[in-house]
Amino acid sequence: MLDHVSVALPVGGSLALLGRNGVGKTTMILTIMGILPLSGGSVRFHGQDVSTLAPHQRARRGIGWVPQERDVFPSLTVEENLTVAGRPGRWDLASIYGLFPRLQERKGNMGNQLSGGEQQMLTIGRTLMTNPDVLLLDEPLEGLAPIIVEELTAAIRRMATDEGMALVLVEQHAEVALDLTEDAVVIERGVIAHRAKSRELLADRETLDRFVGLNLVAD
Amino acid sequence: MTGNLLIVLFDGLAFGMLLFVLSVGLSVTLGLMNFVNLGHGAFGMLGGYLALVVTREAGLSFFVALPAAFVGAAVVGIACERTLFRRLYRSGELNQVLFTVGLVFVATSIATFLFGTGQQPIQIPDMLRGWVEIGGLRFGIYRIFLIVVALVVTAALVFGLEFTRFGAKVRAAVDNQRVAQGLGIDVDTIFAITFALGCGLAGLGGALAIEIVGLDPTFAIHYLIYVLIVVAVGGLGSIGGSFVAAALLGIADVAGKYFVPELGSFLIYLLMVGVLFWRPLGLFGKR
Repeated sequence: MLDHVSVALPVGGSLALLGRNGVGKTTMILTIMGILPLSGGSVRFHGQDVSTLAPHQRARRGIGWVPQERDVFPSLTVEENLTVAGRPGRWDLASIYGLFPRLQERKGNMGNQLSGGEQQMLTIGRTLMTNPDVLLLDEPLEGLAPIIVEELTAAIRRMATDEGMALVLVEQHAEVALDLTEDAVVIERGVIAHRAKSRELLADRETLDRFVGLNLVAD
Repeated sequence: MTGNLLIVLFDGLAFGMLLFVLSVGLSVTLGLMNFVNLGHGAFGMLGGYLALVVTREAGLSFFVALPAAFVGAAVVGIACERTLFRRLYRSGELNQVLFTVGLVFVATSIATFLFGTGQQPIQIPDMLRGWVEIGGLRFGIYRIFLIVVALVVTAALVFGLEFTRFGAKVRAAVDNQRVAQGLGIDVDTIFAITFALGCGLAGLGGALAIEIVGLDPTFAIHYLIYVLIVVAVGGLGSIGGSFVAAALLGIADVAGKYFVPELGSFLIYLLMVGVLFWRPLGLFGKR
């Protein structure tokens, strides 16, 4: 349950949504997509109220959802996963394969024949192929090996800094998320407990520890 | 004896191909969309009566009647899907069964009211009549035609589902409806079109069936049983499975009636029970 949570993101901006397990971060993403109902307030995109639109209409307006749990389509090949919802624009098969070369190697495999890391790359690539204006990434690094986390982090950084893609990043790995974004909010018990610049929050160990301490990556 | 056997195999295969065209649409809607449409046979019957009207009342060729039956059944199918069936997607299977069986009774009554209870013959073109004689055996041209139509339908379905973007969207929507929607795929429309195609194929099957099995208002319920056997034996959602199951059942039915008339049409039920004991999900079923 979320209550009176209000966040805004400028074009090309990036926001980390932090908080412990079960505070409603995924709920927020699903509500923005229209998959969960909105009980009050509104979702506005490019200045327009999209609260009454169906999920597929919101996606077509440019909201790019990268779902949790690496929901690739198992009965589609890697390449079909990428093209099935693709819309013309800057991202096409060639640029996705440039971002994730492993996907090109496995383009003929079925979606369920991939490793966890490859599935996550595919999930991100699949959404990029819809050429969204903003990416909503729901715990993209969850449960992945450190080397894959590094590869994905580099790819996300390339999208955000080189391509100017707007990002909302839900993460338990607070340090990685803060490193990748400009702004951050911490959600606790369904409300926003803290707002800060990501760089400042990353430096403010005490606050970070208080809100998301359990999930800090040891380094 | 071998000659008889060959002819029985051929006739059985042709009958099986007829069952395939009638049932493959249900396999797709049931297997992919999880909607139990027992009204499927009614769409077949609709196609049959449409073909009758086109040939007899409008005086047009049977070759016009076939696409007309397909399109007519597809249009009525999409209308039913938009107004009635879509409300039932999220309700239980029992509700779907009760509602669609109710539709069969409605369809049967309408057919009786409009056309009476008698068997309706259909005029088929001369070029589909008669037989070709090979090695002293006579193969009915209409049955050859049936087999060709079924092969074309199979090829088109497999191509459409496996090798086109639309097919990929259908499979994506079936794999994960929520994610497909979240990526901008209009799942509602995709399912409506799929459903319409399934109904259209039933309509085509109904039109093709008249020459072989006749047409009366009991068609919807009588052939529903064959259709359900084909779907169950083939495995839900499997086009190849429906094809094999339909061929098997057609041959078993014709062979049974020819060689062991005492068993009559009971043989196909034995076959179904046997297959389902061996493979409860059907020959090619995955779930």
